[in-house]
Amino acid sequence: MIDFDPSTFGLAHTYQKEDKDEINTLALPSAPQVIYRTLNGPTQINGGNKLNNFKHGTTTLGFVFKEGILLAVDSRASMGSFLSSEQVRKVIEINEYLLGTMAGGAADCQYWLAYLANHCRTYELKNGSKLSVAAASKFLQGILIGYRNSGLSMGCMIAGTDLSGQHLYYIDNDGMRLKGDIFSVGSGSTYAYGVLDNHYRFDLSVNEAVELAIRAIYHATHRDTASGGVVRVYHIHQNGWTKVHDGIDVVDLHYKFAQEKGLVGDGDEAKQRLF
Amino acid sequence: MSGIFEYNGGSIVGMKGKNCIAVACDRRFGQQMSTITTNYQKVFKIQDNILLALSGLNTDIHTFYALMEKEINLYNLKENRKMKPTTFANLVASALYERRFGPFFVTPIVAGLENGKPILATYDSIGCKSDLDDFQVGGTGGNYIYGACEAFFKPDMSPEELEEVIGQSLVSGCDRDALSGWGGVVYVLTEQKITVKILKTKQT
Repeated sequence: MIDFDPSTFGLAHTYQKEDKDEINTLALPSAPQVIYRTLNGPTQINGGNKLNNFKHGTTTLGFVFKEGILLAVDSRASMGSFLSSEQVRKVIEINEYLLGTMAGGAADCQYWLAYLANHCRTYELKNGSKLSVAAASKFLQGILIGYRNSGLSMGCMIAGTDLSGQHLYYIDNDGMRLKGDIFSVGSGSTYAYGVLDNHYRFDLSVNEAVELAIRAIYHATHRDTASGGVVRVYHIHQNGWTKVHDGIDVVDLHYKFAQEKGLVGDGDEAKQRLF
Repeated sequence: MSGIFEYNGGSIVGMKGKNCIAVACDRRFGQQMSTITTNYQKVFKIQDNILLALSGLNTDIHTFYALMEKEINLYNLKENRKMKPTTFANLVASALYERRFGPFFVTPIVAGLENGKPILATYDSIGCKSDLDDFQVGGTGGNYIYGACEAFFKPDMSPEELEEVIGQSLVSGCDRDALSGWGGVVYVLTEQKITVKILKTKQT
């Protein structure tokens, strides 16, 4: 039996009481016992743990424009140079009005975004109104600062809609939280920024924005080895979010874009000798 | 992705057929996670009946090929005859061992036809020759290509079949390796000619 003590519904008690509330507890991982914490750099846990050094092998991007927010991601997961999957879902549907993108350690992103989803729902039930994007992203930042230097690897974007409009935040494992209009995260982000910065305008139409996002992800997948698979695109507007594209194969995109330029797309534009 | 053999990435495979032999390579030239070009040459014609495929550090691929070209040209001038594939296979082994304590970071595959019989030799970076197998692989995607080769290979294939099988093995293998791919080329060597085919692969 759970007792609903009215005092627990007050905002001031929300965070405190949550741990003791049995129905909605997700186990919080406890930080390792012996940690040599430094201000910068990776933590040496029990003499150094090389397994904690995941790289952000992916390309994700998001930008704000007049029709809301567009998020686009690739779908490749790699373990070093081994491609473990080409079908990963890197946009996590936190709830009907909030989306999170995944970059870095997949387990870290999946777990903590699910934890955030849990928190948002509990807040909604206790307070009768939805958590704002600013507050949700701040909550996640708070958690990540607590685990700073323990080796979590996350570079995610929180995007959503609330009463004050559509907002995009970038959160990472160092505890950074940035509000912005254009972000790209991951090893392929440099390539995506190049394309995005070239053609971005605030007054893009939805179709133009989707086209731009797809092109940016495609260019990143072509140059970056850790990005590839398919492109998934989501649009956030005042009524929540819509999945615009569930998976466009970047291989098809490559040959389509090459054809648009009048090329074949097999790397032989310069008619290289094959011998 | 550390390691000098993983710096540039790339994969090669060689396969024997009936009186023919094929080698295939990917076309990527990269620096760690970044791809620079998608048309880098990794298979070289040493002679009308000898092909040399190289994988590993790209600078050494280029240098080792130049060294082998020099050797075969000098041989032709001095001996006034063509070099036999088995002789060339041996030459590669000694050239690699010559640099035993400062090796070329390459894993070569030599493919040739001697009196109609296919010759396939592969080496580690210091010249250990292995020439008894029906197919051999090299490079960062090598292990993944092995799996596909084992599944698709059968002995005594015709040149057309061989081209298809080696192409498929290369592509499936490179699809699992982040550092190989971005195109593929298949070279089939028969008594009459060398056919070159560019494969349409994932460019990602």
